[in-house]
Amino acid sequence: MPTDKNNGHGNTVVDVQKLTKKFPDPMTGEEFVVLDAISLSVEKGKFASIVGPSGCGKSTLLNIIAGIETHDPSDGGTLDVYSDSEVAEPRVGYVFQNARLLNWLTVEDNMIFALESQGISKDLWRERVDKYLEMVGLEGQQKNYPLNLSGGMQQRVAIARALAIEPDILLMDEPFSHLDEITARKMRFDLMEILMRANPTILFITHDLGEAVFLADNIYMMSTKPARIFKQIEVDVPRPRKPEDPKIFDLEKELVREFFSVLDAQELEDG
Amino acid sequence: MSEKATAVSIRIGSIFVLIGVWYLFAKLMADVEVLPGPLAIAHAIWGVLIEPGPEGKSAYFHVGITLGRTFITFGVAMVLGIAIGLTMGLRKVIEYSMMSLIPLALTMPTILMVFLAVMWFGFNEIGSLVAVVGVVTPYVAVNIFQGAQAMDKSVIDMARVFRADKKMLIRKVYIPQLLPYIFSAFRFAFGMTWKIVALAETFGIKYGIGYMFFFWFEQFNMELVLAWIIMFVILMLILEHGVFARLEHAAFKWRPANKLQT
Amino acid sequence: MKSLNLKPGLVPGVVTILVSLIIWQVASLFFIPVFLPGPVYLIDLIVEVYSDPASYAVIWKTLSRIFNGLILCMLIGTSIGILMGIRRNFESFMDSWIMVLLTFPAICWAFLSVLWFGLSEWAPMLTVILIVFPFVSMNIWEGTKALEKELVDMATVYRADKWSMLRKVLIPQLMPYIFSAMRIALSLSWKIVLVGEAFGVSSGVGQKLIYWFEETRVDMMLTWGLSFMVLMVVIELLVFRLWERHTFAWRHQIAN
Repeated sequence: MPTDKNNGHGNTVVDVQKLTKKFPDPMTGEEFVVLDAISLSVEKGKFASIVGPSGCGKSTLLNIIAGIETHDPSDGGTLDVYSDSEVAEPRVGYVFQNARLLNWLTVEDNMIFALESQGISKDLWRERVDKYLEMVGLEGQQKNYPLNLSGGMQQRVAIARALAIEPDILLMDEPFSHLDEITARKMRFDLMEILMRANPTILFITHDLGEAVFLADNIYMMSTKPARIFKQIEVDVPRPRKPEDPKIFDLEKELVREFFSVLDAQELEDG
Repeated sequence: MSEKATAVSIRIGSIFVLIGVWYLFAKLMADVEVLPGPLAIAHAIWGVLIEPGPEGKSAYFHVGITLGRTFITFGVAMVLGIAIGLTMGLRKVIEYSMMSLIPLALTMPTILMVFLAVMWFGFNEIGSLVAVVGVVTPYVAVNIFQGAQAMDKSVIDMARVFRADKKMLIRKVYIPQLLPYIFSAFRFAFGMTWKIVALAETFGIKYGIGYMFFFWFEQFNMELVLAWIIMFVILMLILEHGVFARLEHAAFKWRPANKLQT
Repeated sequence: MKSLNLKPGLVPGVVTILVSLIIWQVASLFFIPVFLPGPVYLIDLIVEVYSDPASYAVIWKTLSRIFNGLILCMLIGTSIGILMGIRRNFESFMDSWIMVLLTFPAICWAFLSVLWFGLSEWAPMLTVILIVFPFVSMNIWEGTKALEKELVDMATVYRADKWSMLRKVLIPQLMPYIFSAMRIALSLSWKIVLVGEAFGVSSGVGQKLIYWFEETRVDMMLTWGLSFMVLMVVIELLVFRLWERHTFAWRHQIAN
C-alpha cells in the first residue's frame, strides 16, 4: 500500500522505483512477471501518461497505486504516494473504463458517496457537487439517474466524482476507450480545459498515442509481457493545445516510430 | 387522454365487461347452484359483512385471524429465509450443504407439506407456522442467495478505491443490489403464505377465511363460497397492488422503461 | 501425486444428506411407523405399493392430467404473454386480471371447479390451467420486455409480414423464456393437479394423498407422496435436458 510522507519529497506526488510485480500462474503455479522494474514519477499539477498496447499490465500498476491490488516488497521496488493535506492517507481519485456509477443513486448522491467515504465534511458537499458538475459540463443534472444519461455523460459524472474529493492523485484507466470517437474527442478537449482550471495531478493510461500526446506533460512508453518502461518523452507544448498543431503531430509520429522499433525487436527475440 | 388515464380506464372497463359477461352467463344458466349471478353474490357479501356468521363469529373475526396468521408466519419465514440466503452467500460450506437439502423442500408439493405439518404439529398455529416456513423459507433463501452471487464486482472495487467503509458498503452498495431480490422474494412469498394459511385453515385449523371456504363448500352453498372467495381476493389485491407495488415502485424509480411496446 | 479432482460442493452436500438420513432414521425409532416412518420402513412400503399393478393406473391418470394441463397452459399463456408485450392496451387489460388470477389460492379453484363441473375429469384440469397460465404469461411478458427492438426494426425494413416476424424474429428470441416458463409450469402443474385431485375426483395420486391423510396414516401418505415426487423430478430433468440440448444446439456448436 502506498504510504505518505510530508517531508522531503518536493513536488513529487507519486514516486515509483523499480517496481516489480509477480503473479502465480493459475494453471502451473509458476510465477510470471507482470510488471518489470517500473520507474516513474508524477509531479504535482502535472499530467503523466503511460502508453502501451492493451493488456500489458498498465491497469495492474494503477490498481496497486490505488490500493486495490497489493505489491509484495520481496518482488522488488518501492511505491510512494505523497500528500500535502492533513489526512492520514493520500486521496486517490479513479476514473475507470466504465463509469462504475451506482445506478440506483442520483448523480449528486453518487458524488456524495465518494465524498462521504473520504470523510470530507458535510458542509462542503453541496459546493463540491455543484462546482465539479459545472466543471464537467453537467450543471443541473444533480437529481438525475445514471441510466438516463448517455455513456459520455456517465463518464463525466465519474470524472466529477473523482475531482470532487480533490485528490492528491487522479488515476485514469483508458477512460475514453469505450466511447465513440467524436464523444471521446470532446471529452479530451474538456479534460484539457479542466486541467487548466483545476490543475489536478493526473496519471493517465491509454493505448492511443494521439490522446497521450494531446493531453500529457510527459509520456512513459511501455512494452508488454512483461510490462517495462522503455522510454520517457516530455511534451513541451503549452496549453491550450490544438490537435492540428504540427508539434503534436510530429511527437505522435516519433512515438509511433519508437513503438514499432521496440515491437519489431521483440518479435525478432520471440520469433 | 394521457397514457396513464387510458390504462386505468381500460382496467376499470374490463371489470365492467367481466361483470357484464358474468351476469349474462348466470342468466343463461339460470341455475343458482352452479353459477349465481353478480347481484346474488353482492347481496351475499353484504350479508356476510353485516351479520354474524356461524357460531356467531363475524366476518371481521375470521379475516383478522387469517391476516394475523399470515403476517406472523410470513415474517418468520422471510427473516429465516433471508438469514439462510445470506449465510449461503457468505460461506461456501453452508451453500453446499443447504443446496443438497433445499431442492427437496422446493419440490415437495404444498399440499403434502401442509398435511405433514398439521399431522405432526397439530391443527393449530404451530402446524400452520411449520407449513409456511417449510414452503416459503427455502424459496426465499435461494432467491436471496442468487442475489448475493449476482453482485457487481466492478462497482464494489470502485467503492473500495474511494475507501468506503463497511457501513457505507453495506448501505449503499450491497443492499441496493439485494433489494430487487428481496422484493421479488417478498411478493411471491407473501402470496404463497396467504395460500398456505388458507389451505391449512381449510383442513380444519379453526376459524379464518379458509375455514369459511370449507364450511360453506361442505354445505354446497355456492353463493357463500363465492362470496368469501371474492372478499379474500379483493383483500389480497389491495395488499399486493396497493401496498407492495407502491413500495417497489418507489424503490426502483431509477430504472428505465419497456422499449418494445406500441 | 494425483489428488482427487472432485466438484467442490460434492463432499459437504453428500455429508449433509447422509447425516439427515441418519437423524431421520434415529428419530423414527421414537415413534410408531404410522406417525413417523423411518427411511428404511418407507422403502419397504414403496416396494409393496409399486408391486401392485393397480398403482400404475393411478399414476398414469395423474400424469395424463398433468401433461394435458401443461400443454393448454403453455398455449394460452404464451399467446397472452406475447400479446401483452406487443400491445400496451392489452397489457393494461390483462395485467390486473393476471394479478387477480395469481392471487387465487389453488384450493379456491379446486372448490369452484368441483362446484361447476362436479367430480369429473375437468375439475383438476381447469384448476391447473387457471392457476398456471398466468405464470406462463408473466414469464413470456418479461421476455418481451427484453427483446431487441432493433431486430424487429430490421425485419420491418425488409418488409417481413406479421407471421414471418412472429416465427423468425420474436419466437426464437423468446425461446429461453418459453423454455423457463415451461419448466415453471411443469413444476407448478403437478403440485396443483394433486390439490385438484384431492378435492375433485376419485382417482389419481392426489386422491390417495387425501385418503391417507384422513386415515391419519403418515406412512402411506409419505409412500405415495415421496415416490411421486421422485418420479416427477426425474421426468423434469429428463424432458428438459433433452429439449434444451435440441433447441440450443446452435449455441453448443458455436462453443465448439
